[in-house]
Amino acid sequence: MEQDAAAAGHATDLRVRLGPLTLANPVMVASGTFGYGEEYADFVDLTRLGAVVVKGISLEPRAGNPPPRIVETPSGMINAIGLENVGIDKFLEEKLPALQSRRVPVIVNILGNTADQYVELASRLDGIAGIAALELNISCPNVKEGGMAFGADPAMAGHLVEKVRRATRLPLITKLTPNVTSIAAVAKAVEAAGTDIVSCINTVSALAVDAFSRRPKLANLVGGLSGPAIKPIALRCVYETVQSVRCPVIGIGGIASAVDAMEFLLVGARAIQVGTANFVRPTATMEILEGIERVLRFLGLSRIEDYIGTLDAECRFPFAEEACRF
Amino acid sequence: MGKYQEEALILANEGVADTTWRLVLECPRIAAEARPGQFVMLQIREGTDPLLRRPFSFHRIHPERAVFEILYRVVGRGTWWLSQTRQGSRVSVVGPLGNAFRPPDRPGPVAVVGGGIGVAPLYELLHQLAKPSAFFGGAVDIHFFYGTRTAAEMLPESTFSELNLPVHRSTDDGTAGFCGTVVDLFRRVLEKDRWRPAVIYACGSLPMQFAVAQWALSRGTPAQLSLESLMACGLGACLGCALPAPDPKAPNADRYVHVCKDGPIFEAGSIRWNKMQPPPVTPPTFVCV
Repeated sequence: MEQDAAAAGHATDLRVRLGPLTLANPVMVASGTFGYGEEYADFVDLTRLGAVVVKGISLEPRAGNPPPRIVETPSGMINAIGLENVGIDKFLEEKLPALQSRRVPVIVNILGNTADQYVELASRLDGIAGIAALELNISCPNVKEGGMAFGADPAMAGHLVEKVRRATRLPLITKLTPNVTSIAAVAKAVEAAGTDIVSCINTVSALAVDAFSRRPKLANLVGGLSGPAIKPIALRCVYETVQSVRCPVIGIGGIASAVDAMEFLLVGARAIQVGTANFVRPTATMEILEGIERVLRFLGLSRIEDYIGTLDAECRFPFAEEACRF
Repeated sequence: MGKYQEEALILANEGVADTTWRLVLECPRIAAEARPGQFVMLQIREGTDPLLRRPFSFHRIHPERAVFEILYRVVGRGTWWLSQTRQGSRVSVVGPLGNAFRPPDRPGPVAVVGGGIGVAPLYELLHQLAKPSAFFGGAVDIHFFYGTRTAAEMLPESTFSELNLPVHRSTDDGTAGFCGTVVDLFRRVLEKDRWRPAVIYACGSLPMQFAVAQWALSRGTPAQLSLESLMACGLGACLGCALPAPDPKAPNADRYVHVCKDGPIFEAGSIRWNKMQPPPVTPPTFVCV
């Protein structure tokens, strides 16, 4: 049956449209989990990815936080890298050309301590060939200035997006933090301010301590939790965001398999980003991409667009309908 | 030089000393390219807990048999699960990763200093130093300093007999060899015999490496140290395995190197030891009588 479909030219159509951005498939890598692409070139055919979201870039190079920077927790990890990166100059000179030669859409994640720094980054990246979109990081929990401070308050987030919007013609993705009372409120604010797309979630603020040495396990004390442990939180955040905005949503958080990815698409995410799973299995994105095709074929669908956002939210039990009234 | 993700066949997984296990893996592509000092990231078991792979150095490399060995100490949940893994099952391995030990820059005596499970990467290095090989070979006057906390943790003498080189043993509690740390022993031999290494290779606990680095730096002796760190990816993407490093242009600025990509082998002078967290501490000592 599979062979018949392929022979008749009915390959599964994985193309997804996210406002101004069209991707060959919905599988991207999350910022900070894939370096600048080259790190994974031995394991991943980069041209097969929907897009590569690169490690967050600031105007000046950043050294990051002192070690220890990561700790493993049940089904997850907490990191406090502190946005270590090479800075925009070196990124443009060395990292971007290597990625451009791979012919994969590049999404540049940008971060700053002030709104003006975000604006300067956005205007410098505007019009550079090979850059498909910008992702505004207003949700990193591991830095004292900028980061989550911008993303936790709807008014501040909206104000920042408005300024950056004026500085670039590139599609704008705003990455949201789950560390808020209402992610929907922040999503609405950044949509009103002109973001084309929102992505969610960044890591969940977390703490790990050692009962015996009586010390924190991270030099930064707190960090951001990621991995399968946060998937249910992420799924809820994506669902709430999808329900509250019209702009496309990218789902991120604990996606480690094709079925995980399908769950995010089901609640309405139009694309997904794979993060921590890249660390565990460098080939994770390729396995997820192939798995999505298999699941769609199993469901008898030839277009991924026919699956996105088709969650049947009505509670139904075949044998005890009264159970749904609770 | 490629990196691979392979499902390795476990040929053996056996205890060789107290809390110390040897894992023998058939893993053709990684074994073919592995070099002493490099490491692999090994997935402990299926599922998500433990989630992250664990880094292990190459203990022996047998490319002709498509096999390599790792030596590990059971210290936590991950290594405990690993010790329960049976011969005949498969385990996912990513490698070879990181840099390798480099041949000595100058001719002369070689000191190899191993503390506890730090012996793991040094054994393949000793083989390559002692016998003609592609990268090393030809070195003469190699002295191996090997210390553990107690005799039960020590690899059997027969392990090193085929190398045919002087092995100086120490235990913290004096149950075998010299009583004291391997660094104490190293200093003692150097003082007594007036023997001076032209190069030092070392692997062991952080305080041990710190002591070796201080000795080497104070005498201008090149030292290659195999360091470890918590790491998530092993590929240079997560940037989790940072160690503080000096920046010649800005001595007070924070700068970090990464164990997985810049290491795990570092020159003694390329680490800012006084910025290490937690700071180097004296290991628990036993009273030697």
